[in-house]
Amino acid sequence: MQTPDPDHRLRSLLDSPNLWRGSEHYLAATTQAGGHFPGLPTGFAALDTSLPWRGWPANALVEIITPLWGTGELQLVLPLLRRISMAGKSALWFSPPCIPYAPALANAGVDIARMIIVTPPPPQVLWGIEKALQNKACALVLAWPGHLSGKHIRRLQLAASTGQTLGILFHHRNIRHSASVLRLRAEAEEDALALTVLKARGSYRHDRIRVPWSSHE
Amino acid sequence: MSSKPFQNSLALHPLRAVRVDKARGPARKHQGLRRPAPLWYALWLPQLTQQPAIDGEQQARLQQIATSLGALSATVSIERPDGFLFEVGSTLRYFGGIEKVRTRLHALLEPLLHSWALPRHFHEAASPTPAASLLLARAACNLLVYRKDNLRAALGRLPLHTLALPERKKRQFHNSGLYILRDIWRLPSHAVAQRFGHAFTKQLEQCLGHVASPVQAYQSAAVFFSNLDCTYAIENKQALLPGVETLLERLCLFLHTRELAATHLHLAFVHEQQGRTEVEIMLRQANRSHAHFQLLLETRINALALPAPVIAMQLQVTQFAPFAVHNRTLSGLPAPQDCHADLNDLLPLLEQLQARLGNPAVRSIHCQDEHCPEQAGLDRPFGERLPAVAAQPADAAKDEERPYWLLAKPLPLRQEQGRLFYYSSLRLLSGPERIETHWWAPQEIQRDYYVARNRQGMRLWIFHERPSPNQHEARGWFLHGVFA
Repeated sequence: MQTPDPDHRLRSLLDSPNLWRGSEHYLAATTQAGGHFPGLPTGFAALDTSLPWRGWPANALVEIITPLWGTGELQLVLPLLRRISMAGKSALWFSPPCIPYAPALANAGVDIARMIIVTPPPPQVLWGIEKALQNKACALVLAWPGHLSGKHIRRLQLAASTGQTLGILFHHRNIRHSASVLRLRAEAEEDALALTVLKARGSYRHDRIRVPWSSHE
Repeated sequence: MSSKPFQNSLALHPLRAVRVDKARGPARKHQGLRRPAPLWYALWLPQLTQQPAIDGEQQARLQQIATSLGALSATVSIERPDGFLFEVGSTLRYFGGIEKVRTRLHALLEPLLHSWALPRHFHEAASPTPAASLLLARAACNLLVYRKDNLRAALGRLPLHTLALPERKKRQFHNSGLYILRDIWRLPSHAVAQRFGHAFTKQLEQCLGHVASPVQAYQSAAVFFSNLDCTYAIENKQALLPGVETLLERLCLFLHTRELAATHLHLAFVHEQQGRTEVEIMLRQANRSHAHFQLLLETRINALALPAPVIAMQLQVTQFAPFAVHNRTLSGLPAPQDCHADLNDLLPLLEQLQARLGNPAVRSIHCQDEHCPEQAGLDRPFGERLPAVAAQPADAAKDEERPYWLLAKPLPLRQEQGRLFYYSSLRLLSGPERIETHWWAPQEIQRDYYVARNRQGMRLWIFHERPSPNQHEARGWFLHGVFA
């Protein structure tokens, strides 16, 4: 019997999903053949490079934590909204703090016919978000759910992965050990939006990135 | 053909064909576009009148059978009190022969009769004329006659008393020694007319197809109403779902046989004493999918509070649209006039959300060609049609920066020692941009807009209300939007 090549054995071991590997290897594993990353580009090069997926993770839940509404968190997702609506897909907005202003979104290149606003009464918000995340026809869910617990996030993360939908939750509180795939803290600075990667599944990097205000155009 | 065709044979026996000449019969090759020879299928269900039933129920049963026969033929007629006629000549090729039609017919009717606790046997016959088919069926003959030429022979053995004749006439035949139709055909036709009247000869001519016999096609009103009585009072909402499913099955059969789609469902739960609980579902797009209806109703029922146990449920649909499969334009692009055309995939989700949260909770946003910021952006319940909606904002506002959040009502800003405050003191970044409406506009505004920033880093869209000509003092500073 021929002895297998040690390199081959190592490679087969590395390819095995049972073996947990550090961030760089995880990155290599998530990278598909041909150097293609599975993420959706955020539109901000600095942010893309510090995330393992080189963009927003697909089919997952993302948390964006801000101290206040209106500190630039919407500009962070604007390139994504533009890309999704131009691709003919729809986004659902759950309980935004205000009704989004159509002329501003249209000026920013977002197809407003594909933006659906859902304003459920507070007890029904999580039900609605889950239903939307589970639906494959919905490409993106933006949600301002108010109160959230780790249990809620786990359930929504599960819904996002079954429905192959990207869900972005905006809230104020950093819930440790939450099940979301990516957790970012966004703070406004003088001339930029400062982002801190609190958690990105498959990476130990806790980068601090500054996204300049002007880059949204 | 059997030698004893009109002995009571069971309907379960296959139909017997009368002298079908294969080479020249129905299998004859059609040359060019030829209208297929008519073939009328008649049913006789004496059990419908034998059992005492309430008048309304009798009527409902006849209609229900006629409705299900619509799955086999475009022309169905109720021959009161207990017969049915439908044309199958034009659909024979589609179904693949008379035997296939017969199998389908039995599969349709037997469960119905069984559900009414009636015997499942019925009599059937098919021939080129409606009158002859009905006569053969009522004589319990179970015959199949393809060609008109054979009708005379097939009918010849029928006893005269099976014809719809007054008692006096029947006696007259008996006394004249005429027992079967062949006895009549042996007589010279003018003599028959003279002795037995024109009404009788006309009946015979109709049977033989020499005279046309009009058939009144059954067309029920396009209203669906179905009632389901519960065997016991139901308190649990989950226990209602099987009943709702049965009602939906009936609805979908109704929609399929008529090529219709429903746009509005009305479901009512009847309580023993405390009236009814009603559930209305408006559909954004006409639909006939059982699964979709079920999902919507389930969502609504789960959110429902039942005041009392349910003893019956009723489903009513009065608004229909012709069923249309989803079309795409040739280029693959959506039709320009329908701004929601591409949201088709999303519609089931949106309808589910609307079913649970109410129609106003699901909203779409629009731009309007207006200077006044409040009117330039609109939000309306999803699906509501607006008279004039621009896909793009007004040209004037195109180059100016606009906030992504606009407050529904401008918020007065706190002023202290000449400084403006929102969470913390504000610093003006750019401005002013003057926005004025025309003097004839319903809401007259004269505002100077600025972009400001507070210490928390929020970029705010604030304005200074200029005094209007009839008001001499400035009305202060307001927050109108946030550049989130």
